[in-house]
Amino acid sequence: MTDCGCEKAKAELEEYLDRELNEADFQDVAEHLDNCESCSSEHLVALALKLKVKQACREKAPEDLRSAILSKLADA
Amino acid sequence: MTTLLDTQQDAVISELELSLMTTDKAEPSATEDATAAKRRQFEEQALPFMDQLFGAAMRMTRNPADAADLVQETFVKAFQAFGQYQQGTNLKAWLYRIQTNTFINIYRKNQRNPYQGTIDELEDWQLGGAESVTQSVSTRSAEAEAIDHLPDSAVKDALQSIPEDFRLAVYYADVEGFSYQEIADIMKTPVGTVMSRLHRGRRMLRELLADYARDRTPGTPASSRSTK
Repeated sequence: MTDCGCEKAKAELEEYLDRELNEADFQDVAEHLDNCESCSSEHLVALALKLKVKQACREKAPEDLRSAILSKLADA
Repeated sequence: MTTLLDTQQDAVISELELSLMTTDKAEPSATEDATAAKRRQFEEQALPFMDQLFGAAMRMTRNPADAADLVQETFVKAFQAFGQYQQGTNLKAWLYRIQTNTFINIYRKNQRNPYQGTIDELEDWQLGGAESVTQSVSTRSAEAEAIDHLPDSAVKDALQSIPEDFRLAVYYADVEGFSYQEIADIMKTPVGTVMSRLHRGRRMLRELLADYARDRTPGTPASSRSTK
């Protein structure tokens, strides 16, 4: 179990965050984050940003959009 | 005049024609049923994505009226193409692809934005961005904390101000949870470009939000700025 090091962890941080890494790489980065305060704080910021964007962008369509779509589909 | 025995064949044919005609006669209501069934199926499967598509449309058009128009147009197009949709495949991604195409074809055509096409070719230094390398652990913890407490409007404003391709990549990944491959399909671009757009978009966003948080915090010394 050798630490993958900051360089690999930083390079793959976003893919780690987006769950795009394969199992082995994912484990490597996860392990490094457990042991490296610097990288884990970087991960924390990226995660906070990702979650914030998700939360902030939740939208509700205007009330009348559904009926407008349904009547358009009826004509289509 | 039907005296010959070989009229038997004609009789078969006419019987066939008759049955066809009968089917024809019955068809209007059958077609109506089929169309109604198709529409019902489409509505059941696709309409639940309306709010999400509207959210994406807001990030594309930047105003509610155009966003509503875009979503309507998307549903009409999707319904017309619903026969080509393969049941069991990712309907959400399919709808997003249609909406993205519709947006590009209708809305972006009206905007003259020469900046847009070359954005992927800009170097990182031309885009600016957070220089997290110079940050300490405690600064980053404070940054994460600050991000948590930002008002939604600040996040949306920041998103609106970054280039469209970056904005949409971030939106697709973070809000919709699409995979890089799905985003690549939606945006019709290689996965590598998606990764680069995401990376750059997030960096710009982070920088903008750090600026916002800093301006909102009274008495923050200028030395805490992340610029060198």
